[in-house]
Amino acid sequence: PRDMAAAASVKAALQVAEALESIVSCCVGPDGRQVLCTKPTGEVLLSRDGGRLLQALHLEHPIARMMVACVSNHLRKAGDGAKTFIIFLSHLLRGLHAIPDQENGSLVSENSQTLGRHWKNCCRWKFISQALLTFQTQILDYVMDEYLSRHFLSIFSSSTKERTLCRNSLELLLEAYFCGRVGRNNHNLISQLMCDYLFKCVAREGGFEEVFELVGDCFVELNVGVTGLPVSDSRIVAGLVLHRDFSGYCPADGDIRIALVTETIQPIFSTSGSEFILNSEAQFRASQFWIMERTKAIMKHLQSQNVKLLLSSVKQPDSVIFYARLNDISVVECLSSEEVSLIQRVIDLSPCVLPQASSRCEISNTAVVKFCKPLVLRSKRYVHLGLISKCSFAPHCLVLCGPVQGLVEQHKDALHGAFKMLRQLFKHLDLNYLTQASDQNYTSSPLIYKNSRESNQLPEIVNGSLQRPYQGTVVKNKDKLAKPQTYLKVYSNLVVPSIELEKHFPCSTPKVTPMDTYQTNETLRCLSPNKTGIIDYREPFPESNSANSTTENTRIKISYENLQVTKIAGKGSMLPVRYKSREMCPSRSYCFSSIPAGSVLPVGGNFEILLHFYLLNYAKICQQSEEATVGVIVANALLGIPKILHKSKKGNYSFPQMYVRALHALQSGQPMGSRQTGLESVVGKYQLLTSVLQCLTKILTIDLVINIKRQPQEICDQDSEEEL
Amino acid sequence: MSRLEAKKPSLCKSEPLTSERVRATLSVLKGIVTSCYGPSGRLKQLHNGLGGCVCTTSQSSALLANLSVTHPILKILTTAMQNHVSCFSDCGLFTAILCCNLIENVQRIGLTPTTVMKLNKHLLRLCISYLKSEVCGCRIPVDFSSTQILLCLVRSILTSKPACMLTRKEIDHVSALILRTFLLTIPENTEDHVILGKSIIVPLKGQRVIDSTVLPGILIEMSEIQFVKLLPVKKPGSLKVALFCASLSGDLSDTGEGTVVVSYGVSLENAVLDQLLNLGRQLVSDHVDLVMCQKVIHPSLKQFLSMHHVIAIDRVGVALMEPLSKVTGTRPIGSLGSVSPSTYGSVKDWCTAKFGFKHFFHLIPNEATVCSLLLCNRSDTAWDELKVTCQTALHVLQLTLKEPSVLLGGGCTETHLAAYIRHKTCNEPESILKDEGCTQTELQLITEAFCSALESLAGSLEHDGGEILTDLKYGHFWSVQADSPSIVNWSNLLSRCGCGLRNSQEELSWSFLRSTCHPFAPQTCLPHEAAGSANNLTLDCFTAKLNGLQVAVETANLILDLSYVIEDKN
Repeated sequence: PRDMAAAASVKAALQVAEALESIVSCCVGPDGRQVLCTKPTGEVLLSRDGGRLLQALHLEHPIARMMVACVSNHLRKAGDGAKTFIIFLSHLLRGLHAIPDQENGSLVSENSQTLGRHWKNCCRWKFISQALLTFQTQILDYVMDEYLSRHFLSIFSSSTKERTLCRNSLELLLEAYFCGRVGRNNHNLISQLMCDYLFKCVAREGGFEEVFELVGDCFVELNVGVTGLPVSDSRIVAGLVLHRDFSGYCPADGDIRIALVTETIQPIFSTSGSEFILNSEAQFRASQFWIMERTKAIMKHLQSQNVKLLLSSVKQPDSVIFYARLNDISVVECLSSEEVSLIQRVIDLSPCVLPQASSRCEISNTAVVKFCKPLVLRSKRYVHLGLISKCSFAPHCLVLCGPVQGLVEQHKDALHGAFKMLRQLFKHLDLNYLTQASDQNYTSSPLIYKNSRESNQLPEIVNGSLQRPYQGTVVKNKDKLAKPQTYLKVYSNLVVPSIELEKHFPCSTPKVTPMDTYQTNETLRCLSPNKTGIIDYREPFPESNSANSTTENTRIKISYENLQVTKIAGKGSMLPVRYKSREMCPSRSYCFSSIPAGSVLPVGGNFEILLHFYLLNYAKICQQSEEATVGVIVANALLGIPKILHKSKKGNYSFPQMYVRALHALQSGQPMGSRQTGLESVVGKYQLLTSVLQCLTKILTIDLVINIKRQPQEICDQDSEEEL
Repeated sequence: MSRLEAKKPSLCKSEPLTSERVRATLSVLKGIVTSCYGPSGRLKQLHNGLGGCVCTTSQSSALLANLSVTHPILKILTTAMQNHVSCFSDCGLFTAILCCNLIENVQRIGLTPTTVMKLNKHLLRLCISYLKSEVCGCRIPVDFSSTQILLCLVRSILTSKPACMLTRKEIDHVSALILRTFLLTIPENTEDHVILGKSIIVPLKGQRVIDSTVLPGILIEMSEIQFVKLLPVKKPGSLKVALFCASLSGDLSDTGEGTVVVSYGVSLENAVLDQLLNLGRQLVSDHVDLVMCQKVIHPSLKQFLSMHHVIAIDRVGVALMEPLSKVTGTRPIGSLGSVSPSTYGSVKDWCTAKFGFKHFFHLIPNEATVCSLLLCNRSDTAWDELKVTCQTALHVLQLTLKEPSVLLGGGCTETHLAAYIRHKTCNEPESILKDEGCTQTELQLITEAFCSALESLAGSLEHDGGEILTDLKYGHFWSVQADSPSIVNWSNLLSRCGCGLRNSQEELSWSFLRSTCHPFAPQTCLPHEAAGSANNLTLDCFTAKLNGLQVAVETANLILDLSYVIEDKN
């Protein structure tokens, strides 16, 4: 019965996924269309954002809800790919659904005869899910690093050592991104706008990461939506636009200073929890007088400091605004905490502290702004500040126009997502795969996979990969090695971060000189040979925080498309392990492979076709049937995305034509011609793939869905309840 | 803790535009807006079955705001129109009709949305660049040294709103008033950038429209008793004014979140009143002649002030504060402490005035850009319509000041533009085909849909069953009465084109608008003297119409692009 239930769940999952697929697939790619969503409040929203659509559907089906939860988890991380997620997932499920028929047929080879029975008898879905997990954590990374990486292009300009963003590449990347996110007529405009915005905001070379982070965090404060105007009226304004009007405005120019307060300037009779006893009318008058005088004094003082604008996070009493006006000080009240923190981040201004007792006050925390004036957008007034930045973010705001609010919201969301995507793109992504490089030769098929064949249990695979470098000493330290093994089991589901592993290796610090090697038409991973200083394997477990070496490994890539040599000075964290073995075997060094920051590929299914090709190749050489099966399923499912992207194309550009051409090119080692000009982030695609595989694993491992009356106890942390 | 309730699943519909219901509702909406369009448009009566006032209108702002649309697609359409109107006041119906026409025409063709959107956008770009270009044959540059064109513009706006119920003479009167109001808000000594003043529309319902007038300064309405009490004493020269935004009613100011304990026998009210009277004494000793307060003035203080021959006016309201401080040059006083002399302002004079049955206190400024437009109309609903129309006209004049051009009205711009686009895509299709990657047939189909949307928009101006013609030289709009003989010499039957620029005696040839005629190149480059001599032209606001065109095409594209509608049923 268990088997039945599980099988049924795959079928059910497939049905659910296909239903979702039919909705999202209409919005995919440059030819995707819009979906109109209404909110219970009556608002109308336009969207091509998969995450938003899935959320708007309010699905009831438990498996559908799980899928949506997985998608939202992925989106939080990557900011893109919800639609592709669903399409890929349903193709995978379709592939899995088709398996049993094949296995029951005559296809069972003598090799897998025993296994075939095994599959049938033991919960085979669980088995597959384990194989999937193995695939995701091991084979995928291997293929990515070993084969796919040679096709990567970089978003950074090639000429300089330092990472400078190439405007042309960024434009291509953003255009491709917005093609899938905003209406067909607007993607050019929006991507151009974003590109301009980005380059205006970056105050100095190499400050991109900081800008992405800040804009990503504070995007709501950095844009203003205006309805009733055509989208083409959208523009960038220099400075910061606060979403409110002045409480009191006095025109000022020249040297304008601003001050920030977080409490009311006018003292009040009594604060909460205290009592103020009035004994006489004179006392009342005197205290009122004192309050007035004090407010006046503070304002005088502010004026003497040349403060022309007072920003307040709270509402100030009318008299404060009156006295501010008397002293030619403009006031902006009720700033949100996000606005205050943005201002603090940009100009490094801390709020003034108003001394309680003395009538004299010293306000030193002021900052200079270029200008401070009202900005009128569609008869609504805003405060426009020319902040002088203290960080690498030069403040600019986006004014987004559109005929209806729904469209403006869509553009806002898309831009916000784009910043998230860029943030991911600019990070290194470490893969769970050790590149092995030896002094003598460079073997392309790593040993770990042969090793892992005996067992399907994942932790053991990880161990297997770990054991290899210890060949010589593993027998001696067996009891001690047991400890890191258990430790590693905890991480077996994740992409094991390099730091975790570093702890268990004795570290040496070899001097490595990067070598510039240039070879045409071939990718060369150039890992410099280790200098020979052999360090003894002194202790099995040295201090975990011993200095680990990071070595610059230089990659040289030839980008076929542009016929331009892109050199990435990636900072691969390398962990060379050298040990003296009795057999005097050649010393090897291992390094954690990674997807270098800024890796991109041309859009239009290039990533999918490449991965498809290499996975099929891998499956051919791989003798283990489960791995091969999973590899083939994933490889075939990958094609679903380019198929949809090329759906409307005819003739020479139709999918079969394109596919055959691409495969031919790959087999003969020629550059893969691509008609598409856009670029897409490799990291995003990779993360998407792993998320989908994790989701699928989850679906497969569930055998029963049980309806309960009460809500399950909340165990997850708060931010898992975030919006999609 | 909030009650948790399971969310109902949403309703998801594919290809919404193909559904019969959506088509039907769209055509109903189109019917409503089309029938309202233009000077001879039919009026709509909006009323609520439960009572309340009845609104008779043909204006998009009133119409769209009151229509309750339920279908999300219509909601998109109507909100887009409303947003346009709130930005530009004018051309709301134009935008709505064009959008409906485009959707309808394009649907009939049945091309893929990608092609449609691309080409629509391209045609829109063509229109915009033509309208903005120097050679444009339907745009007239505005010369601010003469009021002729501005007056025509205002008159066209008034004429196109039949629900105002104005006669020809009244239209002339109100147009002149509006123009004068606008001119009064322009500061005399202009620097590099002009800050326009403010005009306040003062309602006076039930009077003759001819009694409407415009006065510089501010009118404050007051009751008859107050009116009588006002002292006839007048001092020569200007008057000193104090304007309070703080309440002078003697209430206690905010005492904070804690508690204030008042001992027995201590009267805070007395203390505050003392403070008020001190303030009064200071005002008197500073020789203030007029005290105005946004909120309430304590009766004792009022009494005190009037004893010292100071006029006190309270409950002015927040809306008048900004114009008042502009007129008087005061800074509104927000504290009951001692008043600094720098906050006082002055006015040239004041007087009392009685218009109809209402009494006003009239502040006459030294020099200020604030004026009051006393607007009269017979009935409430006609007054409301007239007020919105006046606001529209004032806004349009402001927009014209920013962008000194006007477009030919009366349907001529639309037919001219359609002729231009037809000619352009017929004669130079290569560049478009290359840019957009579509076939010649597709381009032809879309052009036809686009142009006929424009032409039937112009055609909606005719509501009385007349025929619509276009001349084959300028591409202007001509309408001929319904029951005219079939075979005639057109030049005798027609007199002037829609905008009034062209005369039928100019050796022109005509063709029916809806008949398929060979594309021709409409004559571009408006001769200068034509614009100058034109006395009775129908004109439209350039900025508003341009934006309306863009918004209509963008919204139509948006709606045509929809593949699903997800309705949240919670």
